[in-house]
Amino acid sequence: MIICRCEEVTYGELKNTAETYNCSARELKLRTRAGMGYCGGRTCRSMVDSIAHASTERDVTQVTLKYQPPIRPVSFGSLGEITK
Amino acid sequence: MNRVIVIGAGPSGLSAAITIAENGNEVLILDEYMLAGGRLLGQLYEEENGKWWNGIKESKSLHDKAVALGIEIRLGTPVSNIEKLDGSWVIYTDEETHYTQHLLLATGAAEVPLPIPGWTLPGVMSVGAAQVMTNVHRVKPGNRGVIIGVNVLSSAIAMELKLADIDVACITLPKMNQVTKESGNPMDVMNSLLHVSHMAPSAFVKFGSKLMKNEFMKKMGITFFPKKGVKMWDIPIMLRKAVINIYGENAVEGVTIATINASGEVIEGTEENISADFVCIAGGLYPLAELAAVAGCPFYYIEELGGYVPLHNKRMETVLDGLYVAGNITGVEGAKVAISQGVTAGLAIANNLSGGKQEVEINEAIKRIEHTRDNAFIQFHPAVKEGKEKLQRYWEEYGQEVKVGVTS
Ligand SMILES: Cc1cc2nc3c(=O)[nH]c(=O)nc-3n(C[C@H](O)[C@H](O)[C@H](O)COP(=O)(O)OP(=O)(O)OC[C@H]3O[C@@H](n4cnc5c(N)ncnc54)[C@H](O)[C@@H]3O)c2cc1C
Ligand code: FES
Repeated sequence: MIICRCEEVTYGELKNTAETYNCSARELKLRTRAGMGYCGGRTCRSMVDSIAHASTERDVTQVTLKYQPPIRPVSFGSLGEITK
Repeated sequence: MNRVIVIGAGPSGLSAAITIAENGNEVLILDEYMLAGGRLLGQLYEEENGKWWNGIKESKSLHDKAVALGIEIRLGTPVSNIEKLDGSWVIYTDEETHYTQHLLLATGAAEVPLPIPGWTLPGVMSVGAAQVMTNVHRVKPGNRGVIIGVNVLSSAIAMELKLADIDVACITLPKMNQVTKESGNPMDVMNSLLHVSHMAPSAFVKFGSKLMKNEFMKKMGITFFPKKGVKMWDIPIMLRKAVINIYGENAVEGVTIATINASGEVIEGTEENISADFVCIAGGLYPLAELAAVAGCPFYYIEELGGYVPLHNKRMETVLDGLYVAGNITGVEGAKVAISQGVTAGLAIANNLSGGKQEVEINEAIKRIEHTRDNAFIQFHPAVKEGKEKLQRYWEEYGQEVKVGVTS
C-alpha cells in the first residue's frame, strides 16, 4: 500500500524503518524520502507523521515535519523572475 | 502602505476584511481558489430551528458585502511564501509580490487522508472533494459511493449526497493500521460520537430526523453494535465493519468489507464485496497553517483543535508583530465560529492601526466567539473548549518565558 505517492514509498517500508531505527518523523522522512516529493508532502505528511509517532513520543511544542517554502507549486518562470 | 492583506477568502477572512474596511481601512484579499467563500461554499444542512444553512448563499452575501465596501479580492492566487523583511510582511504569489504591515492568515483547514489498500485508484477521493463536486460544481462524483470514516463531517456530507440523489451504499470504518488507529477502532469512534450527542445542541444527532435521535442513540449506546449497522437517512452506518480493500481494474469498482471485533481487528472469513463507483475517505480535519510555519510562528500540538496550531492570543494576534490568524487555522470548528473569529481579528487590526480606538469592541467580539462556540450547531471535537484553554495557558507561559529571556 502506497503512502507517499510522489516518491512511491509503501506503508510496509515506512513501518519497518520506523521500527528498526525507532526514529523521529524527520528521520523517517530522510531515510525513506517519504514527504520529499514534488507535492512537498501535502498528501502524505500526516500519515508519515502518524507512523513515526506510533513508536516515538510527540514533541507538542514544534511541528515535527517542517514546512519549507514554496508551500505551493511555483513555475520556473516566476522563480527566475522571467517576465514575458 | 497602510493596506491590510488577508490570505484566505473563507468566512473568517471575508468577515475580517469587512470589519477592517468598515473601520475605514483599505484591504486586499488573496485566495487560491476560483470562488470566494472557502469551505463555507460546500455547506448545506438544516439547523435545529428548521432553517437551512446554505453555504453558497452565505458566501455570496459576505462576498457582496466585501465588494460593496471596496475590498479588492484576488482569486486564483496561491500564496507560496511569506516572510518579514525590513519591518514589512512580504507576500509571494506567482504573479506579484505584496507588502503590508498587517497580515492576516485565514487559510482554514485541510483533510486528513486514511490509507487503505487500493486508495490510489481513480474514483477514490476525500469526502470534502465529493462535497465540493456535488454542492459547488453540481457534478456527481459517481452513482454509488462508500464513505470510509465515521464522524461528524462524513455524516453531514453523506446527507448532502443523498439530497443530490446520489446513492451512498454505507458509511463504515477503515481497516486499522498505524495511521488509522483511532478512526479504525469502533470503540473510539463510538465514544467520540456519543460525546457529540451529549453536547447541547447535539450536532451529530440533529443532522438527522427527529426520529433518529432516540433510535440511533439507543443503538449507539449498546456495546454490541448491529453488524448490518444502523440507518441514518437510509444509509447504513456500520461501526462493526471495516473496508479492507478498494478494488477495481482501472478505477473503483467496489470495496471489500469485513466484520471487526470491538477493538477493530478483522474477523477472518467475514469478507464481502460491495459494488461502488466512487469511494470517499473521511479522516477528519487539521488546521492548515503552512504559512504561519514558514513565517516562524511557535506552534503547539493540541489534539482538541485538530493538530498543530500557531500560538496566538484571544485577539487573534500571533507572537510575530503584525501577523494575525483567524478561522480554522486556529483550530477546527464550524463556519459561525470562524466568522466571529474573523470579526475579532479585524477589530484587532483596526485597533492597532487606529492607536486603540476599538478596545471596547474587541472585548465584546471575544465574548461573542465564546457565545458562538457554546451554541455551535456543528462541533468537530467535543473538547474544543479545553483545547482553547490549553492554548491560552501556552500563550501565558510563552509570555513569561520571553520576559525572563529579556531580563536575564
Ligand atoms: C471538507 C470540509 C468540509 C467542511 N464542512 C463543514 C460543514 O459542513 N459545516 C461547518 O460548519 N464547517 C465545515 N467545515 C469547517 C470549515 O473549515 C469551516 O466551517 C469554515 O469554512 C472555516 O473558515 P475559514 O475562513 O477558517 O477557512 P476556509 O473556509 O477553509 O477558507 C480558507 C481559504 O483560504 C484559502 N487558502 C488556503 N491556503 C492558501 C494559500 N496558501 N494561498 C491562497 N489562498 C489560500 C483557501 O482557498 C480557502 O478559500 C468543513 C471543512 C472542510 C475542510
Ligand atoms: S505524497 Fe509524499 S511528497 Fe507527495
